[in-house]
Amino acid sequence: MEDFILEMNHITKQYGSNTVLKDVSLKIRPGEIHALLGENGAGKSTLMNILFGMPVIHSTGGFKGEVSLKGAPVKIESPMDAMEKGIGMVHQEFMLIPGFTITDNIKLNREITKPWPVSRLLGKDLELLDGEAMAKDARKALDDVGMNIDEYAPVAGLPIGHMQFIEIAREIDKQGMQLLVFDEPTAVLTESEAQQLLKVMKQIAARGIAIIFITHRLEEVMDAADNITILRDGQLVKTLKSSDTSTDELAALMIGRGDESVIQVDKREGEVSEKIAMTIRDLWVNMPGEVCRGVDLDVREGEILGIGGLAGQGKIGIPNGIMGLYEAVGDVELYGEKIPLNSPKKSLSAGMAMVSEDRRGVGLLLDHSIEDNIVFSAMQIHKDFLTKLHQKDTKRIRSYAQEMKEELDIRCTSTAQSAGTLSGGNQQKVCVARALALNPRFLFVAEPTRGIDIGAKQLVLETLVKLNRERNMTIVMVSSELQELRSVCDRIAIIAEGKVAEILKPDSSDTEFGLAMSGFKGVRKKESEEVGTDE
Amino acid sequence: MSEETKGKKPVSGKRRAISLILFLLAAVLLVLAALGQSLRSKQRTIDNLNTMRENAVLHAASGGLIDSIANQASSDKLKELRADKDFRRMGLNEVNSKTQAAADEARAEAEKLYMSIEVTDHAAMTAVIDELGGDLEIAGNQEEKERSAYSEMYVELIDTVPDWTDLRDGAADEDALFDGLVSFVPDLGKEENAHLRENFLKLSNDKADKEQIADEAEALNMLTSSMVGAVGDFTEYSGMGDDEIWAALTELLPELEESGHKDELLAAAKEHIAAAEKGETIEEPVKDEGVETTYGTLTDYSYFAESPELSSFNEKADKTYQSLWSILVGLIPDLEKLDNKMANTMRENIEHIVWPGSDDFYTRYEAYIGQGGAEALTGSDARNMTLAADVLRFLVAGLAVLLFALAFTFWKGLVKQFGVPRTIIFLFFVYLCLAAVLYNISVPMMLGNVLERFGMYGILVLAMLPGIQCGIGLNMGMTIGCIAGLLGIVLSLQFDMIGIPALVFACAAGALISVPLGFCYSKLLNRMKGSEMTISTYVGFSFVSLMCIGWMMLPFNNRKIIWLLSGHGLRVTHSLLGSFAHILDKFAAFKVFGMEVPTGVILFVLLFCFLMWIFSRTRTGIAMTAAGSNPRFAEASGINVDQMRTIGTMLSTVLAAVGIVIYSQAFGYAQLYTAPRQLGFIAASAILIGGATVSKAKVSHVIVGTLLFEGVLVLGQQIANSVVAGGGLSEVMRIMISNGIILYALTQSGGGKRE
Repeated sequence: MEDFILEMNHITKQYGSNTVLKDVSLKIRPGEIHALLGENGAGKSTLMNILFGMPVIHSTGGFKGEVSLKGAPVKIESPMDAMEKGIGMVHQEFMLIPGFTITDNIKLNREITKPWPVSRLLGKDLELLDGEAMAKDARKALDDVGMNIDEYAPVAGLPIGHMQFIEIAREIDKQGMQLLVFDEPTAVLTESEAQQLLKVMKQIAARGIAIIFITHRLEEVMDAADNITILRDGQLVKTLKSSDTSTDELAALMIGRGDESVIQVDKREGEVSEKIAMTIRDLWVNMPGEVCRGVDLDVREGEILGIGGLAGQGKIGIPNGIMGLYEAVGDVELYGEKIPLNSPKKSLSAGMAMVSEDRRGVGLLLDHSIEDNIVFSAMQIHKDFLTKLHQKDTKRIRSYAQEMKEELDIRCTSTAQSAGTLSGGNQQKVCVARALALNPRFLFVAEPTRGIDIGAKQLVLETLVKLNRERNMTIVMVSSELQELRSVCDRIAIIAEGKVAEILKPDSSDTEFGLAMSGFKGVRKKESEEVGTDE
Repeated sequence: MSEETKGKKPVSGKRRAISLILFLLAAVLLVLAALGQSLRSKQRTIDNLNTMRENAVLHAASGGLIDSIANQASSDKLKELRADKDFRRMGLNEVNSKTQAAADEARAEAEKLYMSIEVTDHAAMTAVIDELGGDLEIAGNQEEKERSAYSEMYVELIDTVPDWTDLRDGAADEDALFDGLVSFVPDLGKEENAHLRENFLKLSNDKADKEQIADEAEALNMLTSSMVGAVGDFTEYSGMGDDEIWAALTELLPELEESGHKDELLAAAKEHIAAAEKGETIEEPVKDEGVETTYGTLTDYSYFAESPELSSFNEKADKTYQSLWSILVGLIPDLEKLDNKMANTMRENIEHIVWPGSDDFYTRYEAYIGQGGAEALTGSDARNMTLAADVLRFLVAGLAVLLFALAFTFWKGLVKQFGVPRTIIFLFFVYLCLAAVLYNISVPMMLGNVLERFGMYGILVLAMLPGIQCGIGLNMGMTIGCIAGLLGIVLSLQFDMIGIPALVFACAAGALISVPLGFCYSKLLNRMKGSEMTISTYVGFSFVSLMCIGWMMLPFNNRKIIWLLSGHGLRVTHSLLGSFAHILDKFAAFKVFGMEVPTGVILFVLLFCFLMWIFSRTRTGIAMTAAGSNPRFAEASGINVDQMRTIGTMLSTVLAAVGIVIYSQAFGYAQLYTAPRQLGFIAASAILIGGATVSKAKVSHVIVGTLLFEGVLVLGQQIANSVVAGGGLSEVMRIMISNGIILYALTQSGGGKRE
């Protein structure tokens, strides 16, 4: 028993009625690199939040289960507490102060000080910094992570990769560090930097420090990890040794079989026409957190094209870029007509519409009425729903909203009620209604089921399919939920690293999806060939 | 959620107990009020009241006598001390204590003599008092009627006669002059006002005299300043004799010769020469441009005269008083010894007791109590009388507690419906109305004032609306528009325009000027998204300061609006009485229940509100509101958010320009320089009280907010002045309320930032 440094046994966590972790266990030995795998929303972050005693856990009613360090059960009250118990975290976003030197950053809040007369009089807070000793410590930590950079250099202006290493150096400089969590450390690194990082991880592990390695890059897992735990939908799928498995198996385990799919939609009868509705060539979109780096994609007329992929890979950037909401460059043609980018008005006028992924932020005017929301875009773009005197035509608006309310089954007491009072699913339907009021020939739907309950999900997806079948509307649906895409789409483009990694059929195997989402095939592979570090 | 409600249960039990107690207290107070009211109509109470009256009259007489004896003793003692050779060595305290002791001694003796005197013939006494009361009532009512008629005629005359000198010079004799007056005030010609003829003629003459003096002084002033301007360097005249100087001056400015002010001008010139020789210049005498804070003309009653009818009433009352006096002298013979002054004071006291100005129970009771009338009553009678007298207080207190209890009980619902500030301000307003009843302030008149101020501030508050709607938040920089409007007003004065054309011109010119200003201002705001509040406050303040220089530099040259002595620069305050003051306020104005309704200006404000409402329903208006409430949403719908913000800001600025013109016409004065600085804060707090937030507002918020805010201020000001003497409190209250409301709104929205 005591050869485990960390044991998390039967962890269950609920947010309200929503169970996000169910009976998950995790055991880690000293000096082990343990990979934690899972899709977005699989429960990795929640598990780590519990490990670090984050306030969000305590304020939502705590969790069930037990955490032990070195065999002794512990209660971790706060991140500070976790740090004192020897658990460290290398963050995804760098927590460094740009204007300070590397040494200052590494030793921040743990400075080495020496007394002088004033401090002897007025207390320890006024002691001087011992710059030399600090620099020595920092040097040692930097050497440990294999960085030969000057420890007095300021952090501002360093390449991103360097910052990641400084972050790690800071963690291993801490005394009594026993367990380090790496949260997607390679996401922002270049291939060679990633290799370097893995090497450093192995060195650290060799010194007896255990490492939890969160990532979605399967080849890195295979390279560095000793053991692998896979989570899916808050449940433990399997814990296995990396020597006993393959990337294909991992991918399949991560995605899981879609047999038990909760959403049932009628399958299409007949084939989608081969006619191309939209061509996208070399689309670059500067959407923070969802950057597209040269997307090439064709959308066929009358199909539902799914766009999937992990969060942060750039899938959301595609519709937002084409609709002009974020800065974009590239060639987009709709039925042979070139769409001028960076102008929402022109995109809308061209006959496209979009249901935004940011429902409350971009999708709705929360304190305006449902009917005003529904007709807003049509009124602005097509000058629809106005009387002869250019006043809003309340009567027509109300009857149209009523129509939409019935067609989309929007549950509300009145269409004059404000949109903010509706539930998530009904808000989403209002967003769809607004897009439909524009009478578009091409519809983008981004994350249509995010944050809405299962019944509403079904309704929203059915609505999309109905629109597609009855109005022959071309729909591009972006979603993080692969099951959803597989149940309604004709084809699914998987985006990784801002590019299309693969275009798959809904009935392609889990392994194919898993590998495409990890960027293992396609783009990623080409890049590794270029760098020449092929395994 | 369930835990929360569980946690709150005991609290809600406590709340329920408190509200129960409050309701009980209110009920008790209201029952007491009802009891008192029912007591008032009881015969026993009326008898008691009459007993009190009799007693009070007797006390007024005996008390007055005792006072006069004590005073006499005190002054006798002082005389005696003065005669003493040691007087100079005595301290003030010693003198005081000695005279006081003498007075006390005399008072004690007098009290022994007169206090125990009782009325012998109650019936006769009551009869006389009743008769006197009737006489005084008739005379008093008549006098009041005549005075108010006089006041109306006086005000009308003063307001309408344009030039008293012209009027006098144009009339051949007194009859013609009087006819002239009647032509301005037709009521003056009525038979019943014949007795006022002499006094009004005198008034007319006095006014003409005064005007002439003022005109001459003004003419001389202008001559002097043009002389100073023409000469420039007075050292050239150094060493000349009077005649030489005069000759040189008249050569320079021939009109000096014709002015007939040779001596004064020469003296002024010599002063300047003397100063110039010493290398100094004489500073322009800065005129104190005090702003009249009262509205309209105050009535001067010194030209009032009694009508023959009133005189006869007064004579009758005199006679009745004499018979009362003789009864009193019969009871207290020493009253005869009183000197005239004391007797008159006593008469005033007694008349006030006999007829305190109203039949109202409380008024009578107060008047009697003041003169020791209560001493006649004992035990339950005294208690009952107090209860009956305090009906109003119990009623007001009962209602106040009831209101508080209701607010306390339904607090959550109220807050949910109206928000904390609006609830508190509304409660405060109702309490002020209750207090107004208690302090005997005429509520209709106050409501009239509120309406007037609604007209005054309405459009300025409305100017906040497009700012909030388009997303720049509270447009503190609306002072930019105000300044444009002031420019419009000053331009209308520069061109000597009057009446409606002046008003229209001022609005139009102000609006025109504000368009480019608003445009530039909006461009600035579009570059500073997220910190508009800070920027707009800063811009508003600095533009006011910039224009402080501007007002001095702008090339206006109408002598009515510039500093006369320097010949350039606009004055601080400009009276609009000659041009368009109150022109909208008086349009179709009427009086109902003593409440004056300034119809014109209210219609004007409502018209603008209506136009804004129409605009908010157009495609552009809807786009603007969307751009304000969710810019990302608007952008996603193809709206140019910056353009919408520009439209909103410009609208706000233009409305502010029109608003200040309307404000000035209601105020009667246009104030330049730093005066517009605070307007933004007033407008902001008014719309926030109306229920707007820094990111959402409707036309209804403007109307409700302006009425509530001004209502609280007007009523609060009156009540504060009745409770605490001195006028400073209301201004302090205005600042507290308006800034407090703004602060509250900002805490609710998380600072000037929007999500």
